[in-house]
Amino acid sequence: MSSRLEVRKSLDGREQEPSRQARAGASASPRFSWRTKQRLKGASFTWPFVIGFAVFTLLPMVIGLGQSLFASKTSGLGFGAATVSFAGFENFARGFIDPVFWSSMLRVSIYAVVIVPVIQLISLALALLIDAVKRRVANRFRLLLLIPYMIPGIVAIMIWLYLYSPVVGPLKPFFGLFGIHADFFSSGMIWVSIGNLAVWGSIGFNMLILFGALQAVPREIFDAARVDGASEFRIAMSIKVPYVRGSLVLTGLLSIIGTLQIFNEPTLFRSISPESITKDFTPSMVIYNQAFQVGNLNYAAALSIILAAVVGVASVIIYRLTNKVES
Amino acid sequence: MSLTNTKRKALSISAAVAAIGLLAGCGSASAPAPAAPAADAGPVTIDVWGWDAESTQHVVDAFNASHDKIKVNYVLQASNTATQTNFRNVMESKKDIPCWIPGIAPISTVLVNGWAQDITKYIEPIKDTYSKGAQAAAQVDGKYYGFPAGPSATFMMANKAVYEKYGLAVPKTWEDFVTTGKELKTHGVTVINLAGEDPSTLLQMSQQAGANWFAIDGDKWKVNLQDDATMKAVDIIQKLVDNDLVAHQTYKDRPALYSYFDSGQLATVPLAWWSMTGYQTNFKASLGQWQAVDVPQFKDAKQFVSSGFADPGFVPVGCEHPAAAVEYINWTSSSKDAIEAGRNKKTGSVGVPTNLADVSAYTADVVPDKIFGAQPAAEVGAVISKAQNAAVGKFERGPNYDAWFPELQDQWGKAMAKQITLKQAMANVQAFIAKDLDSKGIKYEVSK
Repeated sequence: MSSRLEVRKSLDGREQEPSRQARAGASASPRFSWRTKQRLKGASFTWPFVIGFAVFTLLPMVIGLGQSLFASKTSGLGFGAATVSFAGFENFARGFIDPVFWSSMLRVSIYAVVIVPVIQLISLALALLIDAVKRRVANRFRLLLLIPYMIPGIVAIMIWLYLYSPVVGPLKPFFGLFGIHADFFSSGMIWVSIGNLAVWGSIGFNMLILFGALQAVPREIFDAARVDGASEFRIAMSIKVPYVRGSLVLTGLLSIIGTLQIFNEPTLFRSISPESITKDFTPSMVIYNQAFQVGNLNYAAALSIILAAVVGVASVIIYRLTNKVES
Repeated sequence: MSLTNTKRKALSISAAVAAIGLLAGCGSASAPAPAAPAADAGPVTIDVWGWDAESTQHVVDAFNASHDKIKVNYVLQASNTATQTNFRNVMESKKDIPCWIPGIAPISTVLVNGWAQDITKYIEPIKDTYSKGAQAAAQVDGKYYGFPAGPSATFMMANKAVYEKYGLAVPKTWEDFVTTGKELKTHGVTVINLAGEDPSTLLQMSQQAGANWFAIDGDKWKVNLQDDATMKAVDIIQKLVDNDLVAHQTYKDRPALYSYFDSGQLATVPLAWWSMTGYQTNFKASLGQWQAVDVPQFKDAKQFVSSGFADPGFVPVGCEHPAAAVEYINWTSSSKDAIEAGRNKKTGSVGVPTNLADVSAYTADVVPDKIFGAQPAAEVGAVISKAQNAAVGKFERGPNYDAWFPELQDQWGKAMAKQITLKQAMANVQAFIAKDLDSKGIKYEVSK
């Protein structure tokens, strides 16, 4: 007798649960009920993700938490292996009052306040424009705008370093045609240069999410609005935008999280403008420097956890605020 | 069946405690104790690491063919970075520890990590084969923890066409360098490039002036980044910056860098022998206009000194055959057969064995054919030999070089942008070093 449980179908095609007798007879292991087994089967589809999440996210978090509770010290000339001892929350206490870390946090927060709305506005505008054109045209533009997102971050930075280059890049002579002296590597322009790169790299993904949400808006609402005399701009602002508010919150949160953790761009731009972009320019750079230059892995782990907490709190606040506005 | 909340909590806590325990175990693990020096009676087999995919295997083959008691197995690594990563891993695991690692960090940093064996007793009998600079670079507190390593000494490449055009002589002292720079500025030419991210010119000039930023005094370090010798270098660089005599082309934007160097807007380039070919490959307009000259000296210098420092290779703690390792590396560094075996099959060049006491037999061979125009290769080679033979070699960078060098980069960048003076920058870096040493528990004293 087969031990497999099969869902029977009735004549009208609807699924029926097997009888209690069949379930009892078919159960190879009396420890699990039929319902539990069904749930386990369903859950098994998530195992690849759960395993990946556990190994690459949860485990590093636990390891990081463990590291953050220890401190290593040497003595004398510093030669030889360091002594590792339990330090409790000492690293966290130091991190909470570290002016270098918090000034970097303030720096990227100000940057985020400017750049995230810019990214959101441009992504939304592009999504609305693509939504307004025919599907074939929309598909072409959608792919075109997604290309920057598909380019690996480091490669994108190298491309823009070339474009910005005052000696060999094309942008400086281009702006020169209009009488504009553009030095993208100067201290005053470095944030603009990084911001432009961030916008270029992220609008494709955000636009795609927003465009997907726009496609789900019932089209008959637009027809009704048009009958009432609404212009396309009015339809966009009063119908489409409110409908995609949830997606806007999602893309906004992702942008904020990404911006607070910004690392690649300033690290590579550091060579270009070292007087402005120091080794402690952003929180992630502070953490990297502590871990791999100073060699204080324990303190770096504590700062990582503090950064994660700040990002988490910022996300919750923004999520709550946007929900409140919506309600 | 589901777990109760209490059980879940208990499991979670147990997992966390186990993880922390594991971490504590990993973190507190100490490096293996140094192997007792033993005369390697042989025959023995040793692993040596390196990332050179072209010549080293031929050298190893030649060694194995000519030696009965020692067999060398060359373990090719993907790159310098890969070597560092893989080496850290084997030192943690204490398995398959090689007997030779090429220079991957300053020797003090290697000691701080507990990686290098004391090989003084093996080096003492053979040390005179190597230059004084190479010997100095391999020592910490009078003991050899590395194999004598020669620096690639600094010489200069001057754009002769530019100097002749404006009727100027190539400066022989740093003081004249500033004066010449002022003359060149009137013609829109900069005398040298000081990249905002790269303070190596400051380190090299300080070394040339005789500075000692770090020194061991008993069980503590003496730190001094503001001594008279350093201030000599600082003063020259500050004058160059204050008078806008320098360019600040970054090394990250290589096409722009080469384009600027090639444009005739830059008069002088400090370099080492290995970078000549790169310049020749990337220059077009200025090919043939350059002339190899000695690096400028400080006016009160008693003898000719060139700068440059090396990271020596070392015998890792845990290698059971240090004598065999030293015998192998000594043979590869000094034997004519070994140097010949290392001849690059593509270029036909053997490179400059920088750690030898006299490199004059090798320098002319490495001179590229176009960049120096009419200047004979033998003359360029003589400039390189003079620099190599006069290289200081040693410039102690202390126990926390990895920590303070990025800070020096920051401060140097600010000084190049005229946000602070270089003197202030040195004070800031010294303060950073003191704070970092405090946090690590390392004993030090800041010299006045």
